[in-house]
Amino acid sequence: MKTSPGAMALKCFFVFLASVVVLYPLLWMVTMAFKPHPEWTTVSGLTWLPKNPTWQNFEFIFFGEAEGLVVSLDRTIGGPLIASLVTATVGTLIAVVCGTLASYAVVRFGLAQSLPLSVLQLRLFPPLAVMIPVMVMWAFIGAVDTWWGLSLIYGIVTLPFAFWLMKTFFEEVPVEIEDAARVAGCSYWRVFYRITLPIVKPGLATCALFVFILNWSDYLLALLLTQREWVTLPVYMATLTSAMGGQMYGMKAALGVIAAIPPVVFGLMIQKHLVRGLTFGALKQ
Amino acid sequence: MTELANNSKSMGYWQRVARDGPRMGFWFILPTLLLLVFIVVFPLLMQLYLSFTWWTPLEGIPWYQAWEVFNWGENYWFMITDPRFWGALWRTVLIMIIAVPAQFFLGMALAYLFIDQFPGRKIFYSIMLTPMMIVPAVVGLMFFLLFQGTGPVNDHLGLPAEFSWLTDVNRAMISVIIADIWQWTPLMFLILLAGMLGVPSDQLLAAKLLGGSNLQNFIKIIMPRMKTVIIIALVLRAVECFKIFDLVFIMTKGGPGVQTETISVFLYKQTFGELEWAYVATIGLSILIALSILAVKGLSYMAKK
Repeated sequence: MKTSPGAMALKCFFVFLASVVVLYPLLWMVTMAFKPHPEWTTVSGLTWLPKNPTWQNFEFIFFGEAEGLVVSLDRTIGGPLIASLVTATVGTLIAVVCGTLASYAVVRFGLAQSLPLSVLQLRLFPPLAVMIPVMVMWAFIGAVDTWWGLSLIYGIVTLPFAFWLMKTFFEEVPVEIEDAARVAGCSYWRVFYRITLPIVKPGLATCALFVFILNWSDYLLALLLTQREWVTLPVYMATLTSAMGGQMYGMKAALGVIAAIPPVVFGLMIQKHLVRGLTFGALKQ
Repeated sequence: MTELANNSKSMGYWQRVARDGPRMGFWFILPTLLLLVFIVVFPLLMQLYLSFTWWTPLEGIPWYQAWEVFNWGENYWFMITDPRFWGALWRTVLIMIIAVPAQFFLGMALAYLFIDQFPGRKIFYSIMLTPMMIVPAVVGLMFFLLFQGTGPVNDHLGLPAEFSWLTDVNRAMISVIIADIWQWTPLMFLILLAGMLGVPSDQLLAAKLLGGSNLQNFIKIIMPRMKTVIIIALVLRAVECFKIFDLVFIMTKGGPGVQTETISVFLYKQTFGELEWAYVATIGLSILIALSILAVKGLSYMAKK
């Protein structure tokens, strides 16, 4: 379809405008991370690009102190960063392994036809509406503030995504290929492990990245189920001020940038499959 | 015959499972099933039990002995007459009925811009998607920084530093809604664009050749074919919007007062501020039941169509 130059110009203008709106808050936080204290506010004039760019904020959150700063930090980013990585990874493993196995059984053997919907229901409710018993249980089995306790709940809440995503990938594998392997004498397990899994490998990777993004992005569950040892990045970021008294905009912004990078990178990597993932496989691009 | 039986006996249990499809399927489903039972059945029963007591973690009574403080459903009565609960529910709904349609129309407009090719489409597409990939807590921080009295928003608008957004009775809600719209319009955009691109282009071309205007084509050709996509997008957003917590909690902590307290923030405050866990269990259970009924109704409605 051809568009007139005028319409094209108008369109480009709107696209440009939308990009500005999208980038505006982002830019403020990213530049904030590289600004020294006086430029954090607009009291002495608005600065978009830092006049005196500095690594001070990053230095501060990594080492607990930085040149030119009188305050120091009793808890650096190391612990929360590791906590975020470990819990998000293990949670992803739980969700992807369980989701893959279960969805394969549902798709191929036609078992538990009510499972997909009941899994989906997990996603419907606000986590806080079901968290009281979970917190009581977690306290009872000693899982509060441990890496496995948080990973377990991550695995459970992202299971619906993994399950539905893998379900759509398995449905795309032609059953004839598997039948051929069966006729050739492979056991069901061998067919699954040697034939089907390699075929859906790209799907599996997409699914894992997608679930990882979701787990990494969590704030509420970590807030509820950790206290100190396994506090994750977003929780750490949010508590930074209260511990320090003063407002540490620059340090918070630096933390925000660090926390934001992995999901954005992974998200752009699996851009093609985002629609499928976010709509539980209902839509494909 | 005996040889075969011997053979199958000499095979280990797992080898036999591997040769028996449904049985292997059972083992495949088992972990998920266990997780579901672990997270659904058991907690639901516990929630029901606790909701009929005064139990809090403060008094040192273990949860299984909560019957000692049994109260015959007074929690439910308290919930029905609790203005703070209804206020929080109303504010959650308010955010939903403003933010979700706004996201829908903005997303639709954006998606319409992205149907055809134009220079730099790929890059702009990636830029458009960025907000929804950012950790919601970080988005909260971003808008927290933007809406400070001494932040850039006031500076652009020429407002004094005393003009507050996040601590003002009315503007706090507006700020939260703006942040939510900023973050989740891309999701609408993404889904709606996928739907639009799914409309067969030959049909569009035919309509165009027959002299339909852009608007006519949009309403008569594109919209009807996107019905399912639109429903999916709206339902997804509405469900997620009902859970809104991270943004609000980081931007305003539900304040000033209770002006931006959504249902999740309210439950969080009851849990950790007042430590009334039995009451939270009551509200949680009521929400679960209400949403389940809605979901079942919605699903049967969809199935009928």
